[in-house]
Amino acid sequence: MTGVFALYTFGEEREKWNSIRFVYYGLQALQGRGQESSSIAWINSSGELVTASAKGPVNRLLDIVEKEKGHTAIGLVSAYEEDYIVCVEKPVKLVVAGDGRVGEVEDRRESFRLLGQYVAGEVARGCDILNATVKAVSELDGGYSFIILTERQELVCGRSRIGVKPLVIGSIGFDMGCVSSESAAVDVVGATLSSELSAGEVVAMTPLSIRRDKADGGREMICSFEYVYLSRPDSQILGRPVYEVREKIGEILAKHDDVSANVVIGIPDTAIPFALGYSRMRGLPCKLGFVRTGEPVRSALKLTQLERLIGLQLKLNPISSSVDGKDIVLIDDSLVRGNTLKNVVSSLRRKGALQVHVRVGSPPIVDGCPYGAEIPPVDELIARDLSSDEISRVIGCDSFSYLAVADLIEAIGLNLSNVCVKCFRGGDRR
Amino acid sequence: MIKVLGVGGGAREHALAEKIRASKYSPRIYWIAEWRNPGISRICEQSGGAYFIGRTTDAALVSQKAKQLGVDMVVIGPEEPNFYGVVDAVEGAGVPCIGAKRELAVIEQSKASLRRLQWEYNLPGKLLFKTFTDLDSALSALQEASRSLSWMQNVVLKPARQAGGKGVKVVEDRQAYLINEKLSFKLGHTEWLMEYMRGYNDIEEKILVEENVWGPEYTLQAFSDGKTLVGMPLVQDNKHAFDFDIGPETGGMGSIAGPDMTLPFITEEEYDTSLKTVKAVVDAIQDRTGLEYRGFVAGQMMLTEVEGPTVIEMYSRLGDPEALNVLSMLGTDILDVLYAIIDSRLSKTIIRFNNVATVVKALAPEGYPDYKDAAKGHEVMVNEEDVERRGCRLYWGAAHLEAGRIVTTGSRTIELLGMSGTIMEAAKLVNNCLDIPQLRGWRFFYRYDIGTNELMKRRYKLAETVRRLYKFRASRGTLAVRVDWIPGRGLIDPSNEVLKNIA
Repeated sequence: MTGVFALYTFGEEREKWNSIRFVYYGLQALQGRGQESSSIAWINSSGELVTASAKGPVNRLLDIVEKEKGHTAIGLVSAYEEDYIVCVEKPVKLVVAGDGRVGEVEDRRESFRLLGQYVAGEVARGCDILNATVKAVSELDGGYSFIILTERQELVCGRSRIGVKPLVIGSIGFDMGCVSSESAAVDVVGATLSSELSAGEVVAMTPLSIRRDKADGGREMICSFEYVYLSRPDSQILGRPVYEVREKIGEILAKHDDVSANVVIGIPDTAIPFALGYSRMRGLPCKLGFVRTGEPVRSALKLTQLERLIGLQLKLNPISSSVDGKDIVLIDDSLVRGNTLKNVVSSLRRKGALQVHVRVGSPPIVDGCPYGAEIPPVDELIARDLSSDEISRVIGCDSFSYLAVADLIEAIGLNLSNVCVKCFRGGDRR
Repeated sequence: MIKVLGVGGGAREHALAEKIRASKYSPRIYWIAEWRNPGISRICEQSGGAYFIGRTTDAALVSQKAKQLGVDMVVIGPEEPNFYGVVDAVEGAGVPCIGAKRELAVIEQSKASLRRLQWEYNLPGKLLFKTFTDLDSALSALQEASRSLSWMQNVVLKPARQAGGKGVKVVEDRQAYLINEKLSFKLGHTEWLMEYMRGYNDIEEKILVEENVWGPEYTLQAFSDGKTLVGMPLVQDNKHAFDFDIGPETGGMGSIAGPDMTLPFITEEEYDTSLKTVKAVVDAIQDRTGLEYRGFVAGQMMLTEVEGPTVIEMYSRLGDPEALNVLSMLGTDILDVLYAIIDSRLSKTIIRFNNVATVVKALAPEGYPDYKDAAKGHEVMVNEEDVERRGCRLYWGAAHLEAGRIVTTGSRTIELLGMSGTIMEAAKLVNNCLDIPQLRGWRFFYRYDIGTNELMKRRYKLAETVRRLYKFRASRGTLAVRVDWIPGRGLIDPSNEVLKNIA
């Protein structure tokens, strides 16, 4: 899980802009997609393409952001360690920021190096940057989106032929265009959303033009996890507002539910819209159940068991008055290992919760992601091993149920054939 | 035999020449332009007229030519001849002329004068503005504003005088964390503007700072005979150079209109208000100068949340590419219309527009608009019959025909027009022709997205959002009301400041 962002400037006054800070705030907006690694690359005042990378969240790059100047810049935040912008030195120098994974290459950075080298090779042979990249996208399968910046100050971005990972384009005044994993980051830098790229679409920006083309045989397969968990609720994906999808998921959960309870609580931050939808549909009050300490740590993304536990305990402290003596419908976005929920349920009990009925706003995750989403090894997936009743007993709740795949598709509101649900049980229907 | 002399060498003039050529009076057509437009020169030849190369801003040249040829009327295409008094000279020589006299064309030539006129006459559809004559006061005002709640934080920076169509920058400064980046650009661009305006000594004010507004833009073009204003179908031009509404401001990369008098996302009520707003400007400038406005006039409008239909700029001519849309929709013989303008008979003339959707897209050599040297001198290769076979029409713009070769002169080279039942169908026709014109060893760029479903949907959404806001203001009686707060001074009505500044 990765966020990419770029800012490109046009016109004879382009050098008056410093794009690095725009990219910095764009990346901050995308930080929910990963905060283990951050990097920014830009064209400096001597026209060189330079990169700065740091372990951890993007604010580790603040010193550089305050010091450096560049009219054009790209950036990446990643949930992987040491996962930085890839630099291809030869035959044409360029940098690649990518989301997802190119082809079957296990190592993400290596997979995007492959893409970068392909494009650099074609360009060195005299191929135009747009044609070179369309050719690369046609040849290299996988679920990915990317931004490439060349030393010749060309920016090219696009999505693989099955899409999977989102990518959008925005505009600022008469001076700038931006590219982003999510539309929310476009808003955050004060740009206007222009377009969401379709599967296989490639857009090339040079100081003299913007051109677009498409690889043949594109068919959208957007990752359903973007709607459930990954994207910000203030983003839209393929025209569907993420927040609306999440509320709708809550409504559908409620429609199939008649458990008696006093209060609905969503686990922050992702599941709060689910809880609001559920609450409205069933006429049960929705309450704020937890307050978070520290940075929002996305618990499914943390790598070691220890980090996961620390992350979680720091994260959520129940609000006693919301839960004490109450029967609770507790809603979470997804169930991976079950450890988040086990701890949350136990902390609710300590604060006096009576019955706790857990509802998960996505189907059971039973398989890895062929496109490189960081789902733990299959033997760590609780849904693959245990039934709902068994899970109930493990996490110590009074009842437990999931969203069905068909319901997820209904909430997303796109055709099943355009949504990837391969990791979910029942997700092989198509 | 009616004889007409046209002025100007762009695609707008090619469309005018074509329309005049199609008149039932079979006029003989003469033309003057800076370069040999392949389309117009062909039309002149076919009509038995002639094509001359000369400075279109040379008032003496144009009026002498008109006299010498014994033409019945002169039709001015672009704005520059208006600014240089060509219309005054032609009429002075006793030849009727379609165009704005120098003093009337001030509504386009001086962006500052237009705003002042609107405020002095208290016209509808105006924006807050402030002008600067020296750099230091402009810089300090912008610096101060970026730390306050003043309207001057979110601005459009323009040259106070029309200056080659360049230098307009929109800087919306609402993200506290990007305030330094925005301010430093505002200051940098202000310095650039001051330097750029050094060449123009006919006006004291150098820089115009306007309130930044947002909303869908559209052009309302009209015929004016000094008494009556007859509106044409609304057209939406697209100023950004590139797809996704990204990139530098151009003369216009493509435009949509029809199938009705209004655009699909503008209401009839908004059309009427816009026409009244444009008429108010024409009435005011006629009152100010004591002259009659005979010719084309246009309001480049925006639907804003502040007031609804609002004037962004005025044109003392038809828009380019907007002219291509309306002329292809015009169902009345154009010479009947032009004679009605000359004789002030517009109120008694029926002018019809056909119910057809039109889409125009411009092809410009890479380098336009900011690096024109790179865009100049490339040979154009195009099979015009292919364009017709695919159901479109081709108009020549900044292209010079010499010794059988056509070369680019640095600006928009070709405009393609498609007509159909809906804008989206017309856009498909044009998109299907975009690859026909080619440059030898260089590239054209154009906008694929104009008229597509995706862009139309965005325009609808934007118009709906703005409409809700200004209608709400109207219901509360706060249309065009602005309020600022300045610490130590309290509530400020910035309109009063504007009035004070122009007094």
